[in-house]
Amino acid sequence: MSEPAASPEQAASPPDSTRTGPGRVLIAVYALFALSASARAAVQIATKFSHAPVAYLLSGLAAVIYILATVTFAVGSPAARRIAVLSCSVELVGVLAVGTWSLADRATFPDATVWSGYGSGYGFVPLVLPVLGLLWLRHWSKRARTQETVVTSAGDADEAARSKSALRAQVSFGRY
Amino acid sequence: MSSVNGAVPTTIIVAGLALAAYALLMTALNRRMGIGLLAALGVLEILLLVLVGLIVAKLAGGGRPASLATLIGYLIAMPLVPVAAGFWGLLERSRWGSAVVAVAGLVAAVLMVRLHEIWPVIHV
Repeated sequence: MSEPAASPEQAASPPDSTRTGPGRVLIAVYALFALSASARAAVQIATKFSHAPVAYLLSGLAAVIYILATVTFAVGSPAARRIAVLSCSVELVGVLAVGTWSLADRATFPDATVWSGYGSGYGFVPLVLPVLGLLWLRHWSKRARTQETVVTSAGDADEAARSKSALRAQVSFGRY
Repeated sequence: MSSVNGAVPTTIIVAGLALAAYALLMTALNRRMGIGLLAALGVLEILLLVLVGLIVAKLAGGGRPASLATLIGYLIAMPLVPVAAGFWGLLERSRWGSAVVAVAGLVAAVLMVRLHEIWPVIHV
């Protein structure tokens, strides 16, 4: 990190995990939500739990899922990717279910939680995030399958795979 | 009740959004994080530290928000945003390092709005 050169050439390491490339941005946003959701849930549960127990417990659940997603994306092993698929799926179902529930039954959600109103209090990022996460994971599971057949050895091949995967990620991200 | 000078939070919003725009331009141009983005993050960090100082002075002067715990959480987390983004962005030697910096700029701007909601004497 001593020499932040601005040229896009000569990458230090090829993107070999969900941690690298667009994954960095995903992890940054997931870490932010993990931190803010757990801090918020901790304050709510500690200071005024009886005020809205259901909402605050769901805040806590959201916090746990964000932490799980952050860690599994950062680890990036095949096992971690499977857990990440699960947590992103629960997250997507959660934001849709809690979003609908919070609109239908406002009395249960007197205070906004991360997922109420489909994450409208957070610029709908909680709704978009699991979709991007699942797309990124799908990209990696596809890549893992093709790498079983194609043997990449030289740095040139790595470089080619790198630019190709970056392009593909860009395309899949561009759609959303 | 006197208020925290609104100039600093407003400057942070403008600086954060400008940083995000600059970083997204770098991302679009396929440029990795360079010294320019690092310097801009440094400016944002200084502004955030100044704001933390102003709010701490306000607390020392006897002012209290509705949720003190939340405010203290913000005071701790706020200055960490540019630092964390700097490290995480430099680790990524591609355009996506710049994209991480863009997130930090947006987050800084959003945090100012949230601060005003937590404690309305902090004007934006």
